[in-house]
Amino acid sequence: MSAVLINNGPGVIVAENLVKRIKSGSETLTILDHLNLHITAGESVAIIGASGSGKTTLLSLLAGLDLPSSGEIRLAGKALAALDEDGRAALRAGRVGFVFQSFQLLAGLTALENVMLPAELAGLADAEQRARETLAQVGLGARLGHYPYQLSGGEQQRVAIARAFAARPEILFADEPTGNLDSATGARIIDLLFDLNRERGATLVLVTHDTALAERCGRALRLQDGRLHG
Amino acid sequence: MVSAAAGAPTASALGFAYRRLRRGFGSGELRVLAAALAVAAAAAIAVGLFTDRVRQAVESGAGDQLGADAVIRSSDDLPTELVGQMQALGLRTTRVTQFPSVVAPVNSDQTQLATIKAVEAGYPLRGQLTLAREPFGATETAPPQPARGEVWVDLRLWSALALSPDTTLQVGASTLKVTHVISDEPGRGGAFAELAPQLLMNADDLPATALLGPGSRFQVTLLLAGTPAQLTAARAIKLEPELRFVSPEDDRPEIKRSLQRARSFLNIAVLATILLAAAAVALSARQHSTRLRDEVALLKVLGARRAFIRRTLVLQILLLGVFAGGIGALAGALGQQVLASLAGPLLHISLPAPGWLPLPAVLALVLLLLAGFALPPVLASVDSAPARVFQRAADTQAGSWWGLAAAALAIAALLWLEAGELKLAGFVLLGAGGTAAVLAGCAWLLVRWLSRLRTRAGVAWRFGLGNIARRRGAAIAQIVALGVALLALLLVTVVREDLLASWRDKLPPKTPNQFLINIQPQQTDALRAFFAERGYPDLPLVPMARARLTALNGKEVTADSFEDQETRRWINREFNLSWTDQFHDDNQFVEGKAWGEEARGKTWVSVDRYGVERLKLKLGDTMTLDFAGHVKTLEVHSIRDVKWDSFRPNFFLVTPPGVLDALGFGAPVQWLSSFYLPDAQGPAARMLLRDLVRTFPNVTAVDLDAALNQVRSIIDRIVNALEFIFLFALIAGLIVMLAVIEGSKPERMRETGVLRALGASSRTITQGLIAEFAVLGLLSGLVAAFAAQALAWVLAVQVFELPYGPRPLLWLVGAVAGGVIVTAAGWLSLRGVLKTPPRIVLASGGG
Repeated sequence: MSAVLINNGPGVIVAENLVKRIKSGSETLTILDHLNLHITAGESVAIIGASGSGKTTLLSLLAGLDLPSSGEIRLAGKALAALDEDGRAALRAGRVGFVFQSFQLLAGLTALENVMLPAELAGLADAEQRARETLAQVGLGARLGHYPYQLSGGEQQRVAIARAFAARPEILFADEPTGNLDSATGARIIDLLFDLNRERGATLVLVTHDTALAERCGRALRLQDGRLHG
Repeated sequence: MVSAAAGAPTASALGFAYRRLRRGFGSGELRVLAAALAVAAAAAIAVGLFTDRVRQAVESGAGDQLGADAVIRSSDDLPTELVGQMQALGLRTTRVTQFPSVVAPVNSDQTQLATIKAVEAGYPLRGQLTLAREPFGATETAPPQPARGEVWVDLRLWSALALSPDTTLQVGASTLKVTHVISDEPGRGGAFAELAPQLLMNADDLPATALLGPGSRFQVTLLLAGTPAQLTAARAIKLEPELRFVSPEDDRPEIKRSLQRARSFLNIAVLATILLAAAAVALSARQHSTRLRDEVALLKVLGARRAFIRRTLVLQILLLGVFAGGIGALAGALGQQVLASLAGPLLHISLPAPGWLPLPAVLALVLLLLAGFALPPVLASVDSAPARVFQRAADTQAGSWWGLAAAALAIAALLWLEAGELKLAGFVLLGAGGTAAVLAGCAWLLVRWLSRLRTRAGVAWRFGLGNIARRRGAAIAQIVALGVALLALLLVTVVREDLLASWRDKLPPKTPNQFLINIQPQQTDALRAFFAERGYPDLPLVPMARARLTALNGKEVTADSFEDQETRRWINREFNLSWTDQFHDDNQFVEGKAWGEEARGKTWVSVDRYGVERLKLKLGDTMTLDFAGHVKTLEVHSIRDVKWDSFRPNFFLVTPPGVLDALGFGAPVQWLSSFYLPDAQGPAARMLLRDLVRTFPNVTAVDLDAALNQVRSIIDRIVNALEFIFLFALIAGLIVMLAVIEGSKPERMRETGVLRALGASSRTITQGLIAEFAVLGLLSGLVAAFAAQALAWVLAVQVFELPYGPRPLLWLVGAVAGGVIVTAAGWLSLRGVLKTPPRIVLASGGG
């Protein structure tokens, strides 16, 4: 058993005995090996680790983007194993936000439409209002009608951050959010991310290999040999 | 594998290409490429095989087709000495007299217009006539001619009159017994032109029928059989102008012309298919090339030489061509069977088994498509820099002007190969380019308008419409490709019916629907009385005389005096003339004026504009006409524009009364009439027609509705054949769409992943996809309907002079058909993408 990393308070993200194995040719690789994790509401947690340590795999399991080989995950109090693909999507809608390393904006939609998307999927009536406000907050109030290809990398990531916060999610997953940005732009983006998070009070789970960035989180956990170490 | 490949000799390049192709076939773009090649090959081979079979049937049937080694045709009686002359050369002869007449079973109120063939003993001289006692019964070889008092009928006449063996038919003034139905008849000419069912009777029974009087229209054919030397001698005999010597080489001109026309239409359909397929090949080859650049870079890093890579890629594409061409050839062989069953029966000839002749042409087509559209982008990937393995931007795709040149050359070659003639090729290219440009313009406007509309739509629609707006270029390409195919289909189906309906609507009520021909001058009073008794007091009767043009302005002319083929053909026939001092409003005077009573006896002639154009006439010119030996010179007094579709008897040449009738030079004259018969299929009308046939056996009543329906049923068959080939074009259009979709798949997968990660349900994602393709299809359909409507308008207003307004139904049909077809195709090709797991959005291999 790995060290049980439990914080006080109700667990908004809970993983118990999480195992993820993948087949590679005739071999089976164990990426996560009986991993346990307990994150309470409003916490900010950084998961750090070397390349290939399984950080992104863990993130995708915690967010319900993928299923574990064994073990249990509860997200916002719901056991993910009991839900099908659409059930997990419905759970995420409006409640979980994402910031991806490669921004993942939809090229066919404008900045405003991209930011509206999660709120619309959650069925919120004021999706556009929220999107406009959030975009103004990230400094892109004048670029609402621009398409992703008309924006710089830093601007695209700001749109992505606005999208992540627009629906006022309870949980925010960030996967190497500065990985595709130069260091100056990256620093500004991180400031923005933490400022917004502080203001909106979301639970933040941040995957990074950048220890300086990890230190800005309330808790930093290192993933090594398939387990988390405090 | 790769290290072996690196220094491999040619033999292993083939093996390497084959293995790569097998593995690479899983990738969508190669499958799309293969499908495009297969569809182009299938369409080309279906039409190629079919037309080749008809050509073979026409050429090889030779004597069988004519029922003789050669024939002499005349639109009048044959000179008596001619038969003797032919027999003196040692040729066997027999004579066939052919004309239209109405026949009716004696104890029934049914009547039917038929082609009567009165044959002498020995018919036919070549080939075999076979008979059966009833349709589809046991066949037997026919005796040399029907016995006196007996007739044989073809299946169509048998069915039309619901005959049974030994039914007695009223044929003119005679009653004749139907003893057999004709199973197979050599020399059955006419092809598309032969509309009426047939009846064969003994020539000796003809006088008793009283069907042929002076001025009656009939055709006499003298069949000849003998040795080639005898036939050469026969051909050398100088014939009167109204006689025509026809041997197998120059016979069946109607089939040859019909075949040529059908071939032109079918070729246009095939060309549309091939051009669309070429677009799909180019698109998918380009996508394949992008994928290949990584692979080529890696092969170079591992030591493969450029020549080896190039050889491998060429072999790979050729193997793909052989495979796809083979599949296409098989599909095409089945397709030609469908064509033969649709259009074959119209030709009245049995088609030989399909030959191999079109195969090389199809092979050339596949190679052209590959060389022009697939190889240039694929070979461009050979330039991929090895450094690409470290950094993709290490090499940039150079502008391939030679790729464009190859495509342009290939298009030119394809047009030449398929259209066969330069003029048609140019016409098709201009037409295709113009249509594509117009469609693209419409599509561009619609897509722009749509981009604004989407801000008001829900999330799924916004996403779907957003995809169209973002991939604007691709969307326009898809709309054009599908629009062309849908346009073609709409034109041959909906618009054709629509134009026909407009034409029918334009005819005023009570437009004549019955024509009476072959009325003898001495019958006019009796006929008027006959109709007056039955409630038609004003039966309009129009006289008609026939003459041959011998001189213009006093200068002798023959067909050879004119260079224009149409004029030569026209002048070779006898002209129909009439006389009157009253012109209806379907005769508009362009030059000169209508004459009245005062013109009586003046040697004037009023000429239709067509005749004026053919003969380059002007007012005051003189025309010398030969009325069966009586010559008359007339002065052109006016020029008319005749509306030939008024369903009233009209004539190219009209004189005042008292010129042709009162001079008593004995020109053969017959009278015509046209009138409106209410409920022509009803019992009262049938009774009237039946009484007419009994009282005036020589008068032929032609039911125009029935004749038009017969023409329509023939046109329908030709159109069905065209529709069938345009289906290939539609498939090719869909393949273009698939090629574009294939190129967008990786991006679509990523987007589906993002949407899923953000909490979108499968339903929302599916709705977005359906929204995108439904709108794309809708736009294609609308654009096609718009273009079809525009073409129909041009045809209706400019060519046929019909009133024609907007047809909302056409727009609806086009839009719905487009929407349904494209949504189905889009959903089928992307349903795998819908299952994309959301985890792919996280950086692969990260942490």
